[in-house]
Amino acid sequence: MVSIIKDVIAKRSLIYQLVLKDLKIRYLRPLLGFFWAFLSPFLVVVIFYIVFSMILKVKTEEAPFLLYLMSAVFSWRFFQDSLLSATTSLVDNKNLIKESSFSHYLIPISIVLANAINFFPSLVIVVVTSLFVLKGLPIYILFLPIVLGIHLSLAIGLSIILSIAYVKWRDIKYILEAVLLFLFYLTPVFYSIKLVKDSFSPFLFSAYIYNPLVGILNLYRATILKDFFIYIEKYVSLSSLIIVPAGFAIAILVLGFYFYKKNKNSINDYLSY
Amino acid sequence: MTTSPIKTAEDKSTTQMNKAAELISVSKKYPFVKTAHKDIGSDFKEFWALRDVSLDIYQGQVLGIIGRNGAGKTTLLNIIAGVLSPTQGEVIVKGKILGLFNLGVGFQDELTGKENIFLNGAIVGATREELENKLNSIIEFSELGNFINMPLGTYSQGMRLRLAFSIIANLDFDILVIDEVLAVGDALFQSKCFQRLMDFRRAGKTLIITTQSMELIERLCDRVTLLDHGSLLFQGNTLEGINRYRSLLNTEEFFVGPEKQKVCLFENTKKWAEDVSNWGQKLGTKEVTIDSVEFINKFGLKSNQIKSKEPLKIKVYFTAKDNIKEPHFGIAIFRNDGVYCYGPNTEFDGYKIPEIKAGRGWFALDYHQILLAPGEYQVSVAIWDKNETLAFDYHNGCHKLIIQGPRNTNGLLRMPFKVYPKSFINFRRSDINVDLNTLIDKWGKRIETDQIIIESVKLLNYLNEEKEVFKTNEPVKLLINFSKLINYSKNAYLWVGLYRDDGVYCQGITQGLGKGKNFKIVFPKLPLLPGGYRISLGIWDSLSRRFLICHHAVYPFHMVFNRQDHGTIFLEHKWALSTKEMRIK
Repeated sequence: MVSIIKDVIAKRSLIYQLVLKDLKIRYLRPLLGFFWAFLSPFLVVVIFYIVFSMILKVKTEEAPFLLYLMSAVFSWRFFQDSLLSATTSLVDNKNLIKESSFSHYLIPISIVLANAINFFPSLVIVVVTSLFVLKGLPIYILFLPIVLGIHLSLAIGLSIILSIAYVKWRDIKYILEAVLLFLFYLTPVFYSIKLVKDSFSPFLFSAYIYNPLVGILNLYRATILKDFFIYIEKYVSLSSLIIVPAGFAIAILVLGFYFYKKNKNSINDYLSY
Repeated sequence: MTTSPIKTAEDKSTTQMNKAAELISVSKKYPFVKTAHKDIGSDFKEFWALRDVSLDIYQGQVLGIIGRNGAGKTTLLNIIAGVLSPTQGEVIVKGKILGLFNLGVGFQDELTGKENIFLNGAIVGATREELENKLNSIIEFSELGNFINMPLGTYSQGMRLRLAFSIIANLDFDILVIDEVLAVGDALFQSKCFQRLMDFRRAGKTLIITTQSMELIERLCDRVTLLDHGSLLFQGNTLEGINRYRSLLNTEEFFVGPEKQKVCLFENTKKWAEDVSNWGQKLGTKEVTIDSVEFINKFGLKSNQIKSKEPLKIKVYFTAKDNIKEPHFGIAIFRNDGVYCYGPNTEFDGYKIPEIKAGRGWFALDYHQILLAPGEYQVSVAIWDKNETLAFDYHNGCHKLIIQGPRNTNGLLRMPFKVYPKSFINFRRSDINVDLNTLIDKWGKRIETDQIIIESVKLLNYLNEEKEVFKTNEPVKLLINFSKLINYSKNAYLWVGLYRDDGVYCQGITQGLGKGKNFKIVFPKLPLLPGGYRISLGIWDSLSRRFLICHHAVYPFHMVFNRQDHGTIFLEHKWALSTKEMRIK
């Protein structure tokens, strides 16, 4: 594990190049370039607002619905995009990999990082909107980098596992799409957690809470939305809110690197065809 | 898989040098995944790309890896470069290793040439500072000019090579591995690459290259490694390796199953040998060398001018470097336009030679009667290993033989025959020289006249049964029946032509017509070798020099044989060997 972290640090210029490559490919050709990183989440907010607020008239007690939605939907989209593009990344980039003795995990890492950079402008939009709408930010905003770190680690760990597995088992892509759709509804992106508490049995609810994404999304909200923390504490204890996602993230990351170590010798064999 | 009896040669001169890399008994198996495609799964359960390859790579040397497509060269390079890991065995590499594999590998079409330099450089392990320092020399070496700022998608293969090679050539490494890509470059850039590679060699870098250009291998390499079907056939001296590779190239077809391998091998050799452009080549691994070839006439005198229908002995002197187990000998006669007359070998004839001892020796082939028409011929002589996968020495179409005879004919053969009824009409032979040019474009067609009608043409075996298939050396009768034969001049003759299916004129028979309407041509032994043949039949007017009637190549028949043989005609023969080790199985 330590050796892998050392390797990642040593290869930082390669990671930088790979991230740069990914972003360049994404934004070089569109006329608006990187501005799309702001524009596209903004458009999503507009559509969601029209659908959920104006047509379906969903209301949330925790915060104004638009903010409640924005604070989760972007981080969810980051997570989903990262996993989907990272899963096929080794196969997509096999012409890079087959040239040299390559630490394969650098590819999914760089994909997740590129997605994170892509995610950053929307995060800024949410924070600024929250600042103006709620007239202030919670003190917990200082912990936002930690939340980001947990989220990133979880995404990287999963991406490494999925991308390596995908080299051998190409069915994974389709399974992942289905699982992500299911997870989306299992996570309080556009509904209040209160709804779940009311309709689920206590056992089911605690199971629901142990979904690390529930924790992560609520952590985002707690660090961005003023007074959200006080509200969420009624449903979820602080410890499970932090420990569950963090624990998951570390476990998945370790598992990911272990999985790499076990498979690294055969990855290129399967990549050949 | 074919294994060669040839052992790997150790060159002692290199043992004192430092090893840059070492492969110890490396094998590589490619795993195959279950797919929805059933076709792949059934035959290809697993595939061993390399088997038990041990290799020493010395510092400051240029090692060439040669072998046919699919021999395992790229897999071997990938393993040395650490891109693939061996299934069994061990790879030890000292120092930093760089690789130049397929073009387009490591490149992104969307990025510009310059951006690709940084990406590609980072992938092969260079830092950003290093790349920035060397950026100018990389661009300069590539000679890409302003194209360096264009997306790579606009580049041709040659330009990609320029960029790829320029990046590698300007970075720091100890071992450089290059896989078959240099051929893409134009001549100027190739020589530039060549210069740079020589600079590397002088600087003590180790190079490992594969290419199908034996010229490049010869110019560049200190040593070569010959791979075939994943096994190491040879390691050592460059020229020797190239020779072995060439002889390997000429002897065997590609990925054929073991059961088919032998037949294909013979077929392939046959095809290759019949190509006149390959004549004059001398190939082989030279474990045994052919020193001289003698033609001996019926008086026991050496002469390459032999009378048609007389005995001929071909005696071949050779020198063996080592004791050779179960060698095969072969001698083939071709007409000088490439028509294969006959090529027996000791394998076909069932002779088994347990061993030839190191030193000089000879073998001889005795023909009882050379049934070939007068003309010029070329003789090939070969000494093969026991599997006939490698020729020890192969003189292809190197020895000229002249057959002399009473007159020149267009045919190839002089098979004995008799015609009934015998003609009593006197004719000068030159008068009836049938002009076959009048039959051009008439293949399979009939020139008819109402003066003459051919009633029937029959081929009979010795039991007088009508047949279309005959065994080589079976007695064959040809019956020709005219139902109407009037108004022909004294200068008209019956002509019967035997053709091979591919149009080669084997033998012509001419006969005065006499008074009868029925003719019988008897071959006491028809020595034609397996294949399709056709009979032409006509009446030739030697005064007007045209056919009154002709059915050209209209009557087909087939020959079969109970053994393998190459060529057109079976000539009775026997083999002899200097040492009395040759015996019939």
